[in-house]
Amino acid sequence: MLRVLTANRLIDGEVVFWSGQDWVESFARALVFEDDDSAGSAEAEAKTEVTRLVDPYLIEVMEMGGRFAPVSFRERLRALGPTNKLDHGKQAAGGADIAILAQAQGAARSKGRVDLIRRK
Amino acid sequence: MYLYDDIDRRMLADRAQEFRAQCARRLAGEITEDQFKPLRLMNGLYLQLHAYMLRVAIPYGTLSADQLRALAHVARTYDKGYGHFTTRTNLQLHWIKLRDAPDILDHLAEVGLHAIQTSGNCIRNLTADPYAGAAGDEVDDSRVWAEVIRQWSTFHPEFSYLPRKFKIAVTASPTDRAATRIYDIGLRLYRDADGELAFEVGVGGGLGRLPYIGAVIRERLPVRHLLSYLQAILRVYNLHGRRDNIHKARIKVLVASLGPEEFARQVEAEWEASDKPAVDLPHSELARIRAGFMPTGFEALPAVSRRFEAAKADSRALARFARHNLAPHKQPGYAIVHVSLKAIGETPGDCSADQMDLVADLADRYSHGEIRVAYEQNLILPHVKLDDVPEVHAALDAAGLATPNIALISDIIACPGLDYCALANARAIPVAQDIARRFADPEFAERIGELKIKISGCINACGHHHVGHIGILGVDKKGEEYYQLSLGGSGEGDASIAQILGPAVPAARVAPFIDDLVGVYLAERREGERFLDTVRRTGLAPFKAAAYADAH
Repeated sequence: MLRVLTANRLIDGEVVFWSGQDWVESFARALVFEDDDSAGSAEAEAKTEVTRLVDPYLIEVMEMGGRFAPVSFRERLRALGPTNKLDHGKQAAGGADIAILAQAQGAARSKGRVDLIRRK
Repeated sequence: MYLYDDIDRRMLADRAQEFRAQCARRLAGEITEDQFKPLRLMNGLYLQLHAYMLRVAIPYGTLSADQLRALAHVARTYDKGYGHFTTRTNLQLHWIKLRDAPDILDHLAEVGLHAIQTSGNCIRNLTADPYAGAAGDEVDDSRVWAEVIRQWSTFHPEFSYLPRKFKIAVTASPTDRAATRIYDIGLRLYRDADGELAFEVGVGGGLGRLPYIGAVIRERLPVRHLLSYLQAILRVYNLHGRRDNIHKARIKVLVASLGPEEFARQVEAEWEASDKPAVDLPHSELARIRAGFMPTGFEALPAVSRRFEAAKADSRALARFARHNLAPHKQPGYAIVHVSLKAIGETPGDCSADQMDLVADLADRYSHGEIRVAYEQNLILPHVKLDDVPEVHAALDAAGLATPNIALISDIIACPGLDYCALANARAIPVAQDIARRFADPEFAERIGELKIKISGCINACGHHHVGHIGILGVDKKGEEYYQLSLGGSGEGDASIAQILGPAVPAARVAPFIDDLVGVYLAERREGERFLDTVRRTGLAPFKAAAYADAH
């Protein structure tokens, strides 16, 4: 299972992804984990970054023509922005990375997010 | 308008200062997110999908022009230049940064606004009749009583940690424009046979997972006992409401499980045993609050404005606006003017900072400096001279705020849904936009007449789908957005819970589905029947047959 680590940044609530070196705003720069161990340990490490992050969790991603996109519609919305205002959120930047996400099909439940809601 | 006094102002300034310190401690790592979250929620600050969301309280939906300008300033400076008015008559700002939140609360406090009790298991921001003080059919100004309850309930130590959130609505008119029957407590003020003001007290209404219409537990409560009686209700709830299951913690579940009669008996017993004079408002204090709502500055005018009548005869657009967006005012020569936040294709309830500034300026020039927020996610200028309606209409029209669709098919309630909300299962806004575009022709919409569509993106029902003439609920069907339709609901005086029509349909089928339902209505309706009346008379069968015809 391919996965990406995401969270909201504490200071401004911005959706961020773990790039392997840093927390970045663009999904396209996210590190894709291929095995459970490395994903799990990165998530555990993220949970200790309490002054930078809120609610880090892993999301499933899929490969699309050499790039990746979140499997769930909800996570694609987080990576793009609201569909009623296309000039708001990350999608406002435009470009190929955004176009790939916007074209992605298939909508599955975001397990990481559902677990979060359940925990709350 | 009621003005906050020194105590209120100090309280708001202190609260903003306190939150600034709490934010600093969180950012410094001195408190954890689990410790901070309840503190930020007590100040209306949620973490949503893309950013923090600040829910600003608009007590009983009343704003001064200066307050609306302050909201515009905050939206422009700290958000993306707009805000979203909600079914709770609050304003939500969707793109807030935690680091800015203390400054925002300072700005709001300067004009007597805040986000206190817009979240958490406390008595939430009050709602009242948006026509209060202007409606010809009211027996009193419902905001007077809403303000009494606001002062009593703010930071009330006994009721700050209830089993679940608690919402109170007040109306003082036989026409319920505050949806009181779907509230935890719905208060309906009337004059009894002796001409005395009294409340009919409804309890246990609510939507969400378990929708209920409130039950009347007392038909006549003398107004002087309002607070002691509310205290008795809250005490019974606080003691017996369920704290073990969040889905069964609202008062509606307690009222339903005990039965309204037994619940009423317990409330009466608690009330009788209580020290009423210690809680009930002294007459002098009521008079002080009432003075803040006394009407001022109305001119003696003829009931008919020749200027307005002539302008209507010249302009079909103005005439249409007058038919749908104006309501009669109690003062001859005045009107209540609806500002539609439902322009075709736009997001229901959204208002840009520039639009807020414009409405504030119009309020100053033409409406005694007052604006109201209606739970249908529109704004209202409550006191406009008929002579001035042409100018007000022209200014609103130029800003995209004069869509003549109040209570028509494109006046759709929609929650933020999955586009913004962390709890939603499906989007609500694009569905509303699709339907509005399909019925954009104002003549067709007028021919259909009153039709209230209400859309929620999840079962929590912020979009009031249970009480829509047509209710639409977004569901997550194996990870895809589907929409379950229901018919025959109403949140008004004839309140009822809508019945589910059939299996949920994908997003692209919703608007054509509405087309089918409207077609059945137009074929079936009898003289004078609204969509809702026809549904109630015929039942769901003809609608189901047409809408699901393809499925058979």
